[in-house]
This record gives sequence, C-alpha cells and structure tokens, in this order.
Amino acid sequence: MSTTPADWREKSANQTRLAFGQALLELGEIDIDTVVVSADTQDLLGIRPYIARFPKRFLEMGIAEQNAIGVASGLATTGLHPFVCAYAPFITARSMEQVRNDLAYARQRVVIGAAASGVSLGVAGGTHHAVEDLALMRSLPNMTVIVPADAESAYRATLATRDIDGPVYLRLGGRVEEPPVAESSVPFVPGRARTLRAGNDLAIIACGALVHMALVAADTLASEGVHARVLDMHTIKPLDRDAILTAAAETGCIVTAEEHHLTGGLGGAVAELLALEHPTHMRMVGLPDVFATVGPTPRVRAKYGMSVEGILGACRELLGARR
Amino acid sequence: MQQTRDALILRLENAARQVRRDLWRALRAGGSGHAGGSSSAADILAALYFHRLRVRPTEPAWPDRDRFVLSKGHANAALGAVLAQAGFIDDAMLDRFYGFESPFAMHPDMKLPGVEMNTGALGHGLAIAMGMALGARIRGQDFHTFVMVGDGELHEGSNWEAAMAASHQRLGNLTLIVDSNRIAQSGPLPELVNVEPLADKWRAFGWAVREIDGHDMGAIVDALAALPLEADRPSAIIAHTVKGKGVSFAEDTYLWHSNNVDDAILARALAELEAP
Repeated sequence: MSTTPADWREKSANQTRLAFGQALLELGEIDIDTVVVSADTQDLLGIRPYIARFPKRFLEMGIAEQNAIGVASGLATTGLHPFVCAYAPFITARSMEQVRNDLAYARQRVVIGAAASGVSLGVAGGTHHAVEDLALMRSLPNMTVIVPADAESAYRATLATRDIDGPVYLRLGGRVEEPPVAESSVPFVPGRARTLRAGNDLAIIACGALVHMALVAADTLASEGVHARVLDMHTIKPLDRDAILTAAAETGCIVTAEEHHLTGGLGGAVAELLALEHPTHMRMVGLPDVFATVGPTPRVRAKYGMSVEGILGACRELLGARR
Repeated sequence: MQQTRDALILRLENAARQVRRDLWRALRAGGSGHAGGSSSAADILAALYFHRLRVRPTEPAWPDRDRFVLSKGHANAALGAVLAQAGFIDDAMLDRFYGFESPFAMHPDMKLPGVEMNTGALGHGLAIAMGMALGARIRGQDFHTFVMVGDGELHEGSNWEAAMAASHQRLGNLTLIVDSNRIAQSGPLPELVNVEPLADKWRAFGWAVREIDGHDMGAIVDALAALPLEADRPSAIIAHTVKGKGVSFAEDTYLWHSNNVDDAILARALAELEAP
C-alpha cells in the first residue's frame, strides 16, 4: 500500500493539515525512524492511514500536550524522528516550557505539526485561536519555524524536515481550504523565500493563508499598473534575509501579511531585520492587539484586514504615502 | 552469599559517603547550592551508578546504555559527584560548580558527559524518560530507563499526565524513583500542598509501587534488583529520605534546600562525613 502523488494531493483536499498526515505516510515508508505522536488529534491531521500502516510507530498520548512534547524529546534521544500532531494553540502556549527546554534547549530533532493555527477555528473563539504561536516559537534558539501556504508546500515541508537538525514548528491550517499558490514545479526549500510574482513597485511578504490573498491583491494592483512583488515567506526562522533585503532595496515599500498578531510574527521579523539593516517604509497586515472575535474564519480574518481587501488597502496606503 | 551482599552494601555505602563529601565540595566551589535535595538523593544515586546502571563511563553515548534522568535537577551537585566517581567526568570538574561557562552548573546540562537531559525546570523528566522507554521498545533495545523526581516536584501537573500515559503504555522498562524528603523550598510539603498518600496515588495511576528507606542501602539494592516490580507495569520506588542527610545541621530543614557554603561550613560538613 503505497500512495501515488495523485493520491496524496487528492486526499489533502487543499488543506495543509491533511497534507502533513499524507506526508507522514510517505515518511513512514522511507524512514524507519519515523514515529508519530498524537495529542488526540488523529483526524485533525489526517493520520489514520499512517496509524493503520505503522501501528508500532505511533503513540497516542491523549489530551496532554506537555506530556506529548516531553515524550517526543525522549524518543528523539534514542535516534527516532518524532512528529507531534497537535492543535497549534495548545501545543505552543500550554507546552511552551516543554518546547523551550525539552526540544529547543536540548536541540532535539522533533517536528511539531501544529494544525488549526491562526483563526482557523474561528467559531471556537479566542481560547482556540493561535495568534501568538509564531512569536513564541520564533523566540526560541535552535527552532525552525515554517508556515506552508498550501497543501503542496506543507507536504514538501514535512518531507524536508528530515534534513533539519533540531526542532521544527510546522504551522498548519484548519478546515478552510488553502488554494494552491504555485505550480508543483516551483521548488520548496526551507529557509528560502519563493518569489511568486515579480515586481518592483512594492513587495508583499506573506505567509500561510495570506499568500494566496497576496497573489490576488497583486493581480488587482497589476491591472492598475502597479507591479507588486509577492514573496512566499514560508520559513519565518531562519528568515531569508537576502530575499527581504533585496526586496527592500529594489522596491522601497514592504507590506507584510500573516494570520497572526502584528507583534512578534512575520511582520515583526521583517521589521526587526529592516530596522537594523535597511530601514524601509512598511505596512503590516495581521491581527491587532486584541483577542479576535468569534465567527466563520473568512469573516473573522476580514474583520481585522486579513483579506485581499486588507492587503490592497495596506499597499495603496503605503504607495500613497510614498508618493 | 551473605558475605558478598555485605561487601556490596559496604562498598556502596562508602561510595555514597564519598558522593556526599564531593557534593559539599562542589557547593563550596560554587559558594552555594542545593545541599538538601542533593544529599537526600545520594544513596540512591550511588546504588544506581555503582551497581545497577548498565553504563560505560568512557562511552557515555553507548546506544544500549541504561538511561537515568535527574528530573529534580537541583540535585545536580550529587549527580556531578557520582559522574566524577564513576569516571564520566574528571574529578576537577567538581571545582567548577557554578563556574563561568562551566558545563557543571546548578542544573544538569547535556554538555557534561553522562547527563542524558537538560533538566531543572520541574515536572519534565518523567515524560522524557517515558519517551526514552518507548524509544527502547520501538527500536527493540533492552535498556532500562530510570527517572528521579522530588516529592515536591509532584506538585507539577505534567507528572500526572505522564503517570497516566506510562501505565497505559505498560512500560515495564521504566522506573520512577521519588526522592521523598518531604520538604520543598518554602517549607514542609504538608504546610504547602500535601502530596500524600503518594503510594496510593501511583497505584491508582496503574504503577507497581514499593516503598523503601532511601538511606538503607540494602533496601535500595533489593528494590533495584526487583525491577520491574510487576511485568508490564512501570515501577515506582518511593524512597523515604531525609533532606540534607549526613550533615546534622542541614538535615530535615527547608533552610538547607539551598544555602551558602563557605570554608567553615564545608569543614563542619566534611567533619561529619568522614572519608571511608
């Protein structure tokens, strides 16, 4: 029972969380050190096929995120490569000390597949929104932080974690579809941003679900004669400094877009870099300093400007201010 | 046979006394440290490292070694003393306790040969040890994993997440040792948050339990020889100990959870811990 490429694409259903589960199925086949740890998240990350295929390399730890991280750290000391399946809001905030000490400080080769990030659990309310997870994970030495924008990226990022020495936080979405942002022929290399649109009038640096919105916004701007560069900044840490500094130098206008608080996430990372090395006019799209309201994910995103219109507004405001 | 056992116990008691002398020496080098919890753990650590653990001091990363995780990481002076006496590290390392850029500090650090995990933040070690035990099972290795926690540490809820999962996983290759010295940083546990009845708690979580006097070397050796206490269950050895054991002025008081150690205090301590 092996999956074909067509299989996994279909079964991922344009959702990064399910692509992660499909990638685990492939990893199980090619690497006997793969072990999957669940925190009562078997369907959330689509790992039932993996469990059926590799029952001895699967561990259900129940609704106990701190324990799941500690166990994964212990597993990694024996040479295994653990993949922890969890809810983004809980595995980060609740298990922060385990992630910090047991994974990052001990530099363990453990991958956290964190689904339901951002406001993807919109109707669940503020307790279930993960809108500070990038800030938390990005603050840890040794940690790699990746935010795939679509299923293809998530699948490839999961496979690519085999070559990463140290813990990886893989930020995945929820049940809202994440449309493809690039042809499958476009390479995906952790740590290297992908330029999905060329342009020198301004640059939109986005991650996750906001990448697709940025592309739509760029198309609208193009129809108005404004050529926006769009960077898929899928790796928040280590940040692709060259891509950002080049975009800043060549466009002079940077808009960041993410499904995360405006503090500490992608926008913060870009701003830190540019403030020190190439001060550049910026606007940031993301959640302001509030707990987000309850509602269907697209509406919650839109309320706070995490939308095509929000990105367009930020771009136009920035261009207007620059003129 | 009895003679052999007597000789073993005498050897381990002498080793434990040397551990205590060395840990006080480290505390003096650091100027302060956790005398109480280090001393209460000393006999058990000696029995583990000089009798029970299958380890190779000259090959600390040997894949088939038994694992020991000191979850109550503030007892690191005792762990360092044991690692030095066992030959994992140079004896001179004991004089670098709390030193600038030293791998031997207040809490265990994997940079020190023989240390399996960075610990000290309480409530982490049991889950990590469970992961090691699960790793042994998945990889088909026969090593045993030991983890030592303090009884005060059991205030941390993460221990009970791990307790539940470890018995569910039927981890006969995992042993928890509770260094039950009954005193935490601020005072006696019954005055802070009571943790008793400990044995009943672990049994209720599905563990096989034995209670021992944690300073009776014969009882320690017997308990370690009886592992696993029951097939297919994780074992919990609840060791009743005395905080600061071996040095009268440090015994059974929260004041010596951590305290300053100068030359005079060291001399008083060593006078009570005569060399074997």
